[in-house]
Amino acid sequence: MKLLTLSERLGLVSYRNQAKSDIKPHIRVDTDICNSVCPHKCTTYVCPANCYTMDEDGKVHFQVEDCIECGTCMYACDQGAVDWNYPDPEIGRGVTWNFG
Amino acid sequence: MDEKFDCIIVGAGIAGLAAAMILARNNMKFLLIEKGDFAGAKNVSGGVLWGTDLARLVPEYWKEKDGGWERFINHRRLTFMDEQSTFSLDFKSSHFDEPPYSGVVVLRSKFDRWLAEKVQEAIDESDYAMESFIATNIKVDEVLMEDNKAMGIRTGDEEFHTDSVIIAEGVNNLLSRQVGLQDDYVPADHMLTGIKEVIRFDQKVLEDRFQLDGLSGMSNEFVGYATDGVEGGGFLYTNRDTISLGLVAGIKDMREKEKSPHDILNHFKEHPVIRDTIKGGEVVEYSAHVVSSGDKRVMPRQLYKDGVLLCGEAANLLINAGKAIQGMDFALRSGIIGAETIIKAKEQGDFSSRTLQEYRQALDDSYVMKDINNFQDAVHMLHSPEMYRDIPNLVCDFGRTFFTIDNQPTQKSRKLFSASVKKHSSYWDLIKIGFKGAKSL
Ligand SMILES: Cc1cc2nc3c(=O)[nH]c(=O)nc-3n(C[C@H](O)[C@H](O)[C@H](O)COP(=O)(O)OP(=O)(O)OC[C@H]3O[C@@H](n4cnc5c(N)ncnc54)[C@H](O)[C@@H]3O)c2cc1C
Ligand code: SF4
Ligand code: SF4
Repeated sequence: MKLLTLSERLGLVSYRNQAKSDIKPHIRVDTDICNSVCPHKCTTYVCPANCYTMDEDGKVHFQVEDCIECGTCMYACDQGAVDWNYPDPEIGRGVTWNFG
Repeated sequence: MDEKFDCIIVGAGIAGLAAAMILARNNMKFLLIEKGDFAGAKNVSGGVLWGTDLARLVPEYWKEKDGGWERFINHRRLTFMDEQSTFSLDFKSSHFDEPPYSGVVVLRSKFDRWLAEKVQEAIDESDYAMESFIATNIKVDEVLMEDNKAMGIRTGDEEFHTDSVIIAEGVNNLLSRQVGLQDDYVPADHMLTGIKEVIRFDQKVLEDRFQLDGLSGMSNEFVGYATDGVEGGGFLYTNRDTISLGLVAGIKDMREKEKSPHDILNHFKEHPVIRDTIKGGEVVEYSAHVVSSGDKRVMPRQLYKDGVLLCGEAANLLINAGKAIQGMDFALRSGIIGAETIIKAKEQGDFSSRTLQEYRQALDDSYVMKDINNFQDAVHMLHSPEMYRDIPNLVCDFGRTFFTIDNQPTQKSRKLFSASVKKHSSYWDLIKIGFKGAKSL
């Protein structure tokens, strides 16, 4: 069986309000903290949906669109940069599992 | 809706649904609020619902032709894994074939939805058929407190009032934090990420490969190579025409070892034994969710305060000591006990912690807290490097030499074992682990 890439895996996820382009992000990340004091930048590898990325200059970026609401980053970030919440059912993104 | 409810339950997972069922049956007026599109829409488990408690919610549920469950476990396996090999304890018995079944495999999106239908039926038959509700697509933003006592909830700018709130919001327990029962920041130390794929097979292939008959099912836990040197373990459960294959991995350990959960899952899938097991399957879903470890140190300070109870994994009620993850059955039982406490509080007309502390007492007296208390050592041991690394390597090494027949004089097993021990550990360490193990189990 062929292994799937992360984007193939995320392609199997049903997201809510996918048609809406203007969604309200449910997680806010203070990337100033990421890019100044954070020694490990661990969310860039422990997030199972790769919402935290690092660019060529080593700068951390966050985008919420692929988030599967797992909660990992809320615990993993010990620097106080993650303001975590659940998405709003009407104007947020988030998941609807088909199997779960 | 200006009227006051007896109880508002936040979260239609297993804990919330169990509580709702008991409240409905006892003619309580309540509101069950779920942020997902339907009950189960947001929920992920492995998952086996262990024990027979489900029959307390839906008596003789197994008689239903196409209920919300997948299969009934009659075959259990615990597998030690190194890079090339697996060595398993395997137990299959027709003893498990009769109801009440003691292990039900579920997929939450289907199971919770089914259970919610049963709760709705119970509401319809209750005195408050028109005044109790299951409301989906609503996120509770805040538990409203007055003089440090819960008196309602807020969603957006709407408020609903109540005598009591059952917080059954699951492990990412924002409301438990807001009411002050849990710290605002919970560190990663005793928390894990659960990650899995649902893999579909032709049903005939699935039944043949896993020796399934009718609705019988298999559960398989893995320790060792599965998690690529990170604390945790793997699992494989058979559904009707899919399997759930995944693992749980310590968040702090991943942070320190610079590992990604999705890479660890691929590492697990690439193991030669797993590769053979999942051949020909098609991945139909990828999912992840945080899960507690069972370590008591992460639990909220208290599980109640005036007008509020915490049920299920909102209170980190879970144990994973290697042979099974028990979160759903704990959620179910704590939901039942929580609802029973609320019913009593209504009878006594007192929803303060004076009455609600009976929840804690009943929970302490139940198998939930007894097991959590009695198996703390086992939880620590499962999350120690000996257990997720050394022991599986040692066991597999012994297995390899024991099962190898190579036309050389065969050594006595004791000698083989001693060679494996020397390679991966020492007798002294083993005695220590054995001692710890014997004490903890
Ligand atoms: C990968 C993995 C494998 C697992 N395997 C097993 C297993 O094999 N066996 C087992 O017993 N356990 C297993 N578990 C653990 C088990 O899934 C949980 O312990 C169990 O789901 C807890 O149930 P709960 O009802 O407390 O919470 P949940 O099932 O998480 O339900 C909480 C509900 O509350 C809702 N909610 C939360 N906040 C709000 C809000 N503010 N407003 C409205 N609604 C809200 C959520 O949408 C959700 O529906 C596993 C977990 C994972 C992640
Ligand atoms: S761990 Fe926290 S501070 Fe560090 S990169 Fe991630 S979000 Fe930023
Ligand atoms: S909640 Fe999970 S999926 Fe979403 S950003 Fe955090 S780690 Fe990634």
